Amino acid sequence: MEYRFLSKKGIASFLTGLLKEFKVYGPIKKDGFPLYGEIASEKDINLFHTPTHLSPKQYLFPPKETLLKFKNGETPSIESVVEANDQILFGIHACDIHAIRLLDRVFSYRPSDINYIKRREKTVIVGIDCIPDKYCFCKGVNTMTVDSGFDLFLHPLISPNGKSNRINSDRKPANLGQDMSAGFLVEIGTQRGKELLRKHTKTRKTTVKEIRKIAESKNKKAELFTKSINAEPSSLPLIYSGSYNSPVWEKIGKICYGCGSCNNVCPTCYCFDVRDNIQANLTEGERYRVWDACLLEDFAKVAGGHNFRKTRGERLRHRFNRKFQYQVDKFGGLFCVGCGRCSRTCLVNINIVEVTNELIEESNKRS
Amino acid sequence: MSLSKNQTNVPDIPSPHLPRLASIERVSRLTEKERLFKIALEDKKSLGHAPGQFIMLCIPGYGEAPISISSPPDRNNTFEICVRAVGNLTNALHNLMQGDRLWIRGPYGKTFPIENLKGKDLLFIAGGIGLVPMRSLIKAVLAERPSYGRINLLYGVKSPEEILFKDELTQWQQTGNVNSSITIDKPHPEWKGHTGVVTTLLPPLKIDETRTVAIVVGPPVMYKYVLMSLGDKRIAGHDIYLSLERKMKCGLGKCGHCQINSVYVCQEGPVFRLSDIRYLREAI
Repeated sequence: MEYRFLSKKGIASFLTGLLKEFKVYGPIKKDGFPLYGEIASEKDINLFHTPTHLSPKQYLFPPKETLLKFKNGETPSIESVVEANDQILFGIHACDIHAIRLLDRVFSYRPSDINYIKRREKTVIVGIDCIPDKYCFCKGVNTMTVDSGFDLFLHPLISPNGKSNRINSDRKPANLGQDMSAGFLVEIGTQRGKELLRKHTKTRKTTVKEIRKIAESKNKKAELFTKSINAEPSSLPLIYSGSYNSPVWEKIGKICYGCGSCNNVCPTCYCFDVRDNIQANLTEGERYRVWDACLLEDFAKVAGGHNFRKTRGERLRHRFNRKFQYQVDKFGGLFCVGCGRCSRTCLVNINIVEVTNELIEESNKRS
Repeated sequence: MSLSKNQTNVPDIPSPHLPRLASIERVSRLTEKERLFKIALEDKKSLGHAPGQFIMLCIPGYGEAPISISSPPDRNNTFEICVRAVGNLTNALHNLMQGDRLWIRGPYGKTFPIENLKGKDLLFIAGGIGLVPMRSLIKAVLAERPSYGRINLLYGVKSPEEILFKDELTQWQQTGNVNSSITIDKPHPEWKGHTGVVTTLLPPLKIDETRTVAIVVGPPVMYKYVLMSLGDKRIAGHDIYLSLERKMKCGLGKCGHCQINSVYVCQEGPVFRLSDIRYLREAI
């Protein structure tokens, strides 16, 4: 593993340099919420330590994306549209990098999705260490750290002047801007990342002491989780498989609004609908895809009217199983990365950790 | 690497969403709701399908839908689909006439295992428009009739006016040596034949369970009961094939609509062997 030291000043010039070449998306605050958004100047970026409400999947798999453009008439034509720009995702947390690796697997599964793949190829990912809030549980699903899937990864060094206390004290979103004084250790993930770093900023060699700090803050982070799944991640597919008839599904189905928010914020939900949009003169238009949500009533309903997952309980069971069993069977690896976004956004406080722990408890009683 | 360059790139592999241009060669009205379309691919190439597969039918402005192919494999560039008008796209299709253009993608999906059927007695059980994908297989089988044993066809529809491919049913019976029985769900003044759901045709049927393969295609509600009746006839799960209907938006194993547990029906189906999916919850 190769590391370089980057100062507070160094990161500012790095960002300024990147902005000249690329569109940069990073954590910003909008209406009081931590989100990912486009960065216009290095001052916009707000390297939150706590999770963002929306995941960065929107920059690889946009909420709405044109797939084809068509013309009707005497000589009808259809051509494919692939919109892929060079872009940098800056300040991405470990859980989301894990999620992107899963999406890579899904969209490159044959027949591979050219729109995603092209965009992915043009995307540089710069990760950053984070601090969990009360919904995070990445530690319990082995996604607290990440060793590949990024071009660069920033490990903020905690300054010795007492500011490090923020890690132990409250869990309010801390603005990294206040703590950047001690600088970062930059983990080099790819040659592309290394070259960008060299081109746009000055770094220096790291010291052994600094490297040791990465492990220290990792250990500190591990102590901060308030919620955890009470079973080994590898046992979860079997536990979910055995919980198909659990009363939990009906129980949470009764309170669920079926709004699909959990699907929208999830970094590994990738279902979509395909629709056409035609101009009023009926001569030309586009075929586009939009995010869809398996919690919505019509998701599995066929034209004849039969709905294969009629109740909200059935739809919730399907979604939870996609995270812990179904997609694991198909693609390998849990499809829940522990970001806690579904629980954070749920209007009726259905919490993925609590639901899973209830299933684990039932499963323990059965065995 | 400026932003103005590279705004839209030409992909070096074709988008799997890109359809092929086709035109309607013939339209025949089968019932009040169903029409049979003979479609010709404009690139003059064969569709290259096998029985049980489907296409994504595209009418720009109306969208796409999965449609079963109803004709047997063919070396020329035409194929047939039989479509019931139930939604926006299928209603738009019904408004098209001979010579009109449309687009198709595919063929997609797993096929009926025609080689495994050779030498066997075949029991076809169709409900409603389930006869549409089954017709592709029946016609392929009848093209090599001597390779197969006894053939029974049980076909259930709601009412006499919904019977599809009437002339062909008679023809299959007369020249194809197919023993076919049709039933309608409820008594009807003009109907002199059998009445009752399709499972009522099974008990009197003489079947050699050691050499029979059953092929079942129908609406979702039908499977459970038909499979129980086939169990009574002692037909093994690995000798039963079904085609499952699901909502599909991409046909490429991505959009998630057709998913049954970990199975994407568009890729791993729509044709399944019962023994492979008996324990797949939500399949039947």
